[in-house]
Amino acid sequence: MAYVQVENAVKYFSREDGTDMLVLDRVSFDTKEFGITCLLGPSGCGKSTLLNAISGLERLDQGRVEVISNHGSAPSHSPRLGYVFQDPRLLHWKSVEENLTFALKGMSIPHAEWSDRLRKYLEIVGLSEFRNQFPLYLSGGMRQRVGLARGLVIEPEVLLMDEPFSKLDQLTARRLREETLRICEHLKQSTVLVTHDVEEAAYMGDRIIILCARPAGIVDILENPLPPGARDVDDLQFIAFKKRLLQSVLKLMEKDEVPS
Amino acid sequence: MKIVTCASPINNAAFTMLTAKIEHNRLPTVMAREEKALAASVQAPLATEGSAIPARSKMGHGREAAWTTGLRIASILAMLLVWWALTFFFPPSLIPHPIETFSEVAAIVSTGQFFTEMGATLRRVGVGFAIAMLVSIPLGILMGTVKSLENFFEPPVILGLTMPGLVWAVMMIMFFGLNETSAYAAVAVTIFPMLTISLWQGTKSIDKDLIDMSTAFHAGPWSKVVDVILPQLVSHILAAIRYGLGLAWKVVVVVEMFGFSNGVGYQVVRGFNVFSMKQVLAWAITFLVVMIIIEFGMIGWLESRITRWRPRVEAWRR
Repeated sequence: MAYVQVENAVKYFSREDGTDMLVLDRVSFDTKEFGITCLLGPSGCGKSTLLNAISGLERLDQGRVEVISNHGSAPSHSPRLGYVFQDPRLLHWKSVEENLTFALKGMSIPHAEWSDRLRKYLEIVGLSEFRNQFPLYLSGGMRQRVGLARGLVIEPEVLLMDEPFSKLDQLTARRLREETLRICEHLKQSTVLVTHDVEEAAYMGDRIIILCARPAGIVDILENPLPPGARDVDDLQFIAFKKRLLQSVLKLMEKDEVPS
Repeated sequence: MKIVTCASPINNAAFTMLTAKIEHNRLPTVMAREEKALAASVQAPLATEGSAIPARSKMGHGREAAWTTGLRIASILAMLLVWWALTFFFPPSLIPHPIETFSEVAAIVSTGQFFTEMGATLRRVGVGFAIAMLVSIPLGILMGTVKSLENFFEPPVILGLTMPGLVWAVMMIMFFGLNETSAYAAVAVTIFPMLTISLWQGTKSIDKDLIDMSTAFHAGPWSKVVDVILPQLVSHILAAIRYGLGLAWKVVVVVEMFGFSNGVGYQVVRGFNVFSMKQVLAWAITFLVVMIIIEFGMIGWLESRITRWRPRVEAWRR
């Protein structure tokens, strides 16, 4: 089992005119070892940058990101991270199954394990009978499931998800949220989910980290009082927790709007 | 998505009454299908959405293919008709009768002459083309992905594009002499800039998010090229091949005219020397037939095989 430790992450982006813009301002947090850690913040606050820094797609200017494994990892061992993107980012010229083997090949998973893993994870996301289908012949929800399966099939130590449901219609998103929550609970791995949706954060997150915008900094860290199985969007306790989150986020947005 | 546009034509003020009516007529079936899918999804949340995909009807497909073939045949017949009409206005030495010309074609083919001459020409085009492709694909991809290489190679490639094929042919023959090498080189050099430019521009337009995705899943450089970059370039490569083949034919015929002793170009010159339009046309026609076979038979087949992952664009369907 593993978790992510972010320490004093600082990141600048260069603007067109040559000046630098501070995107991440000394962000530090740990993710949960089991369950989902939500990074919640308004759009454009640098949440995705943070996730890219964890995955190694983006380099930090200061600070460090470390994935800490419990089972005596060698220092040279690079942690296995699964990534689920906002757009599923599938290779449209490859079938559903080939999209998963692309990840298996990249992560150097032994060939002998491929068929078992493909069967298992396509089953989990409910796409077994579509394994030879090309992505463009699938619905948006199904494509997103392929993206999820691709993140899971490499059996990552940490699963990173970047607003994976935000491009879906409400019904599909809701159903996929339920399923993803169940899958994550079942697989018991550390997951980092980036979202701007307060209800999604309250529903999916075991720990919710609230970020403010430009530069992103941590405003608040909350533990979800409800266990995953007891979260019901119509339940009063759930609504109360959602309200608390919403107030935190709104408060920081008001602060944002005051001209300085 | 579909259900939204169907259910509320009122929202779209630009729709005419007519299209609105069509949309309404289609509404019930679409709704029913979506509802069924929804109902299925409630019962079995993990294995759903399958019912939303209707089976493809095979019959419609066959009829469409027949229509396509019919149009192509009609186009060829129309051209023959124009040719035949022209024979009334010009002497046979300038516009020979189609039937006479085709009997000449039959003679060329039946003596086997066609195969040796066409074989020589095809080999020159094929080898030259292969050389150009082997250089252009890597160079185009590199130019599209590495800024400094783009800056360095842009001037020669653009200059090469403006050089007429005839000039390349002359230069290559002067350089290599009258042998196969000069034919290969002339073809390769003429089409190389065009191939490179289309691959370079194609590479610049590929989806960068997919590159990030492949990086996140630790894909190696080879896998990035083969699995991520090249498939996005397929339509660019096929378009370049088609255009490049057209250029290659023209150059190879010119090279052969300069003093080769075989090939279609040489036969055309022979026809010219005895002032036989019939012979020139007969060779031109065999040439066209081979082109059509390559274009529709081989490249068309290749394209439909490689791009079968892409649903057909039906922009004008009503």
